Amino acid sequence: MDLPRRKRHVGRWLLAAAVVLACVAFAIMWRPAITPQTATPSFDQARIDRGANLARLGMCASCHTPDLAKPFAGGKPMETPFGTVHSTNITPDNDTGIGRWSLEAFTRSMRKGVSRDGHLLYPAFPYNHYTRMTQADIDDLYAYFMTRPAIHAPARDNDMIFPFGFRPLVAFWNVLYLDDSAWQPDPKQSAEWNRGAYLADAVAHCAACHTPRTMLGGPDLSRPLDGGEAEDWYAPALNARSPSPLPWTRQQLHTYLRTGIAEDHAAAGGPMQDVVMHLSQADERDVAALSAWTHSHLAQAPARATPAQQAGSLPTPKADDPDLQRMQTGYALYANACARCHDAGRGVGSGAALPLQKAVALYDPDPRSLIHLVDEGIAPPDGEPGRWMPGYRTILTGEQTGALAAYLRKYGAGQPAWPDLDDAVRKARAP
Amino acid sequence: MTTYRLQVNGKQHAVDTDPDTPLLYVLRNDLELSGAKFGCGLGQCGSCTVLVDDQPAMSCLVPVSSVGRRAVRTVEGLGTGDKPGVLQQAFIDEQAAQCGYCIAGMIVQATALLERTPRPTDAQIRAHMSPNLCRCGTHMRILRAVRRAADVLAKQPAGAKR
Amino acid sequence: MSAQLPCNEGRRRFLAAGGALTLSFAMPAWSASGELPRSLDKTPWLDAWIRIGADDSITVFTGKVELGQGIKTALLQVAADELRVAPGRLLLVTADTERTPDEGLTAGSNSMKDSGTALRHAAGQVRARLTDLAAARLSVPATNLTLKDGAFATADGRRVTFGQLVTGQELHVRATPEPPPPAPGPKTAIGKSVPRVDIPPKLTGGRAYIQDLRLPQMVHARVVRPPSQAARLLDVDTAAVLRMPGVLKVVRDGRFLAVIADGEYRAVKAATTLARATRWDTPASLPAHPDIASLIRAQPAEPYSILDRGAPGSIKTSGKTLRASFTRAFQLHGSIGPSCAVAQLVDGHYTVWTHSQGVFPLRGALAELLGVKDSTIRCIHLEGAGCYGHNGADDVAADAALLARALPGRPVRVQWMREEEHAWEPLGAAMVVDVAATLGADGRIADWQYAVLTPSHNQRPGKAGNLLAATHLAKPFAPPVPKPSPQPEGSGDRNAIPYYAIPNARVMHHFQPRAILRTSALRGLGAYCNVFAIESFMDELARAANADPVAFRLRHLTDPRAIDVVKLAASKFGWDSYQRPQGSTRRGRGFAFARYKNLLAYCALAVEVEVALETGLVRIVRAQAAVDCGEIVTPDGVRNQIEGGIVQSTSWTLLEKVRYDEQHVLTVDWASYPILRFTQVPDTVGVHLIDRPGQPFLGTGEAAQGPTAAAIANAVFDACGLRMRDLPLDRQRMRRA
Repeated sequence: MDLPRRKRHVGRWLLAAAVVLACVAFAIMWRPAITPQTATPSFDQARIDRGANLARLGMCASCHTPDLAKPFAGGKPMETPFGTVHSTNITPDNDTGIGRWSLEAFTRSMRKGVSRDGHLLYPAFPYNHYTRMTQADIDDLYAYFMTRPAIHAPARDNDMIFPFGFRPLVAFWNVLYLDDSAWQPDPKQSAEWNRGAYLADAVAHCAACHTPRTMLGGPDLSRPLDGGEAEDWYAPALNARSPSPLPWTRQQLHTYLRTGIAEDHAAAGGPMQDVVMHLSQADERDVAALSAWTHSHLAQAPARATPAQQAGSLPTPKADDPDLQRMQTGYALYANACARCHDAGRGVGSGAALPLQKAVALYDPDPRSLIHLVDEGIAPPDGEPGRWMPGYRTILTGEQTGALAAYLRKYGAGQPAWPDLDDAVRKARAP
Repeated sequence: MTTYRLQVNGKQHAVDTDPDTPLLYVLRNDLELSGAKFGCGLGQCGSCTVLVDDQPAMSCLVPVSSVGRRAVRTVEGLGTGDKPGVLQQAFIDEQAAQCGYCIAGMIVQATALLERTPRPTDAQIRAHMSPNLCRCGTHMRILRAVRRAADVLAKQPAGAKR
Repeated sequence: MSAQLPCNEGRRRFLAAGGALTLSFAMPAWSASGELPRSLDKTPWLDAWIRIGADDSITVFTGKVELGQGIKTALLQVAADELRVAPGRLLLVTADTERTPDEGLTAGSNSMKDSGTALRHAAGQVRARLTDLAAARLSVPATNLTLKDGAFATADGRRVTFGQLVTGQELHVRATPEPPPPAPGPKTAIGKSVPRVDIPPKLTGGRAYIQDLRLPQMVHARVVRPPSQAARLLDVDTAAVLRMPGVLKVVRDGRFLAVIADGEYRAVKAATTLARATRWDTPASLPAHPDIASLIRAQPAEPYSILDRGAPGSIKTSGKTLRASFTRAFQLHGSIGPSCAVAQLVDGHYTVWTHSQGVFPLRGALAELLGVKDSTIRCIHLEGAGCYGHNGADDVAADAALLARALPGRPVRVQWMREEEHAWEPLGAAMVVDVAATLGADGRIADWQYAVLTPSHNQRPGKAGNLLAATHLAKPFAPPVPKPSPQPEGSGDRNAIPYYAIPNARVMHHFQPRAILRTSALRGLGAYCNVFAIESFMDELARAANADPVAFRLRHLTDPRAIDVVKLAASKFGWDSYQRPQGSTRRGRGFAFARYKNLLAYCALAVEVEVALETGLVRIVRAQAAVDCGEIVTPDGVRNQIEGGIVQSTSWTLLEKVRYDEQHVLTVDWASYPILRFTQVPDTVGVHLIDRPGQPFLGTGEAAQGPTAAAIANAVFDACGLRMRDLPLDRQRMRRA
């Protein structure tokens, strides 16, 4: 056999394959620019009002309004495993915002995660959810955003870990995770449920926090609503795996989504506070639909006996506890720092709070939410009335926080110890 | 009642009190340090702010039994009427007080900022001071006083006392 | 209201001839019967105001109190200046029923006018008396003496000090109505910004407040308040609380329930335990979710006509008629330090340490409450946190007095908790304003009709029934039926009469004796909302007349001092050259002017605001104020008060309203009742003062609040075309607008 000739054949095939792959990759990664528009169309008020409601349901301001004085001007840094991404200016400013974006460009960004000029957007922007919005809803959102006051605010530079600064790589993420098939209702469910299902998936994108992510940062669709995370807070499972120590009624869930607090359940903390802020401003019927859908999943959690069903202060550690000293430290902190408010049960003011055996953070499979709550507390949104829990970061040492969390986990929730608790406390305290 | 050893403003104290007594009451009643004030007891207003290991903490929320060996500093430890500290002098120079009830807390809160961030921007000062409430509306002067102190400190050699 | 006051012709010639840098000020006119000026009239003895010790110490007594407005320092300056000494030489004693003149309340921005004027006269006459004594002692004519640092000297070097001259009753003489001769030599104190004497101890941990008072054998108490004013006490189980460590006594009298303990936190814990062992019936006694307008309009009211000029309502012009209604929610004083008092009963005599604004009226109310004579109670003022009017200070003094009676001999300290102060302090009253005006063809207002509807803005003690605990006793005192204060002070109708020249005008005050919640004086009283309404409406009229808002106001002002402040504020702001960013709905400018009570300080204010309707945020970017408060004693003190007034009013205007459901007040802490934080204060606030040497001192503590509210609302309109007529312009309201 003539070896060099075979090599030449193989070489040619490899080269051809490489060229084909490069073409395919290019086809995947490259997007054309859409011509900038020069005149802004006008919109009727009904469309704008619907768009305003959708913007609330879609939580746009969470990322795009870090400064309340400059709505939608962007600039919020978001930590991801791939680096720090900053939200962009989506006011209709011609130079630094989306003033020159046609409806086509806006639609493409929402459905495909592609900017007007063709560059790919990082999926910190949840276009993999918005892609399933109806065109009518996208039209309404466009009307809303194009009629906001224009604010001059240039985009901030991102700080990505190599090689994720190379945006075209996102195209491969899209291949895996961008499912732009139309959202389908479930004919077996009510209209209200389906409205909730649509809003939850395509607009409010609950799964972005409440479904776990894969290593590549996409949703793990084999485990929908099994629990996820947001900004280092644990977002609990909303299905049969719900860690909530007491079942939720539909009414409680609705009240919670509108106000951030419901009887017998912990107040919304961390990123969920922003969700509540948005939903409290959205159409109440849409929130009712969301709570119908959410409740249908939460209601699948099996009834179980938990200490939440018992009244009274949390107990002292048992004399035979293998970790007695730490538990006693934790108990003393509970008795001397927490019990003053948390033993009282909720009252009108902030000095009387939920008995801790009912607090879902103690039942989470992950201690991060509890640590954040203890460290940062819960504060109402800027300039709005609400409830208050103070933060203890400078009051308790890391060791004390760990002991308190360990005690609460065991004697408040009766759950097995978190194996990574001390690491989580250290990480939360790292500057 | 238990005896707790506390280090406050560089001095050791032994205090007999209940373990859940907030540090604020211990400072004011047992140690007769009136600087930290009762404003709300809920951690919402900052009138009770002290430094615990150089971090600002609301003393109305700190159980005395949890302080341990950590160093507590109050406004009294930052200077006296005869020898005011840099921040205290800046507040006097700006006449940054109306009723003055919140001011000790403001000074302690600002101390933590200037010790960590000697050249703060105006935005940083505002954000850092935001846990502290002032009802009289003295905010503009308080901000000027913190700025003034920062400017004074910027001219001093490194390691100078705040 | 004319600001022209008579000036003694002889004095004028003296000054012109002397050319010295002396003070001159116009005397208030008083009657031919020789009535003494201001507080001197009630307390005419000179040594009630000024005492000189043999050691040359000079003690000044005032019936006014320090509220954080700098009055102590200002009064010291006035007295020091008349005596030609440095202010640091003087010791000031503030209101004490046993030691000082009775000057009623420290309120209404009257302290400089009342006490300042009295002290100026008294000190001047003391100086004149001392001068005569020195002349006699040194055997020279008075004109040959020089005065410096509390001593008189002759040309040949002989000296005699104040202390050497006053060995007996030399100063126990009545003040005379004639003004004393002007003080010789340069001013030592007035017109300069003297650092406030009360500030350094407050910054270095000194015992500066009533909350810092510690007395031997002192015990601590906390009150367990009902869930609402309508709540009934069903039963109390005191067994558990009496077993708690340190608990000395549980006091129950009707619905008044309190616990006294040997340690402060023990008292707090005991009160919590006691509260949990108490059962109440809390009926639905409050209207749930009303809007202020329908709530207030439904209350019975007594109509008072406070202005009826020309022929209002009968003008026929070709100009437009505009109408508008404005509202203000119930609002809190929200003192940063909750109210506190200490009381002690020893041998039938009560001593009460209190931060009440009026220790003499308080004494009267306490005497009635306790069923004792006034003379058995001594009320001593110690400073509290800013009170901004009638807060819980008098109520907690009553609590302390009752508990002192329950535990005679020991000083009993009562500290209100945050929730207690928020839920129980007398509130700033809700208000509704209806206004209609007609423009003439000449673009001037031809007709003006204004009505303000509001409950009482003054339920100060007075009477025992004005004290909270008194209404909870088994034999309760009923709150007296309130009456409105007459104009020109007014209460809910304060500043309801516009300061503008309007030929036909009617102003009605619909006074409501009853309200759903207890209301009383909050800084400015009705002026805050009345100025908000008038100045917002002036802008609406200006627009209808196609006039610039500042020019429109100038068109209607005749008082030159008012015109000066308006022009100065506009100029400092750059009003005429202001450019709103092209096509922006986010920035705008607004203007407002008022003269507090139409009698006191003038304040004009121009602001630029930033508006973000999607989030509801409104914030002042920059503010420029111009103020005329007569002769300025402490320029920096005035600036401090005006800056503070602007920031405080910004908080009221953008954030604050009391909320309640059918059973409870819901705004019980800073979370449920947010106030302005550092992140929301303006970028810059400038205050520009116009000094009027010789004019009477005018208080400035309440001058800025009303103009700030209107300037903000006018700027919001300029920015985005939304005319907000309901206070507060909170986030939710702005989002829904």
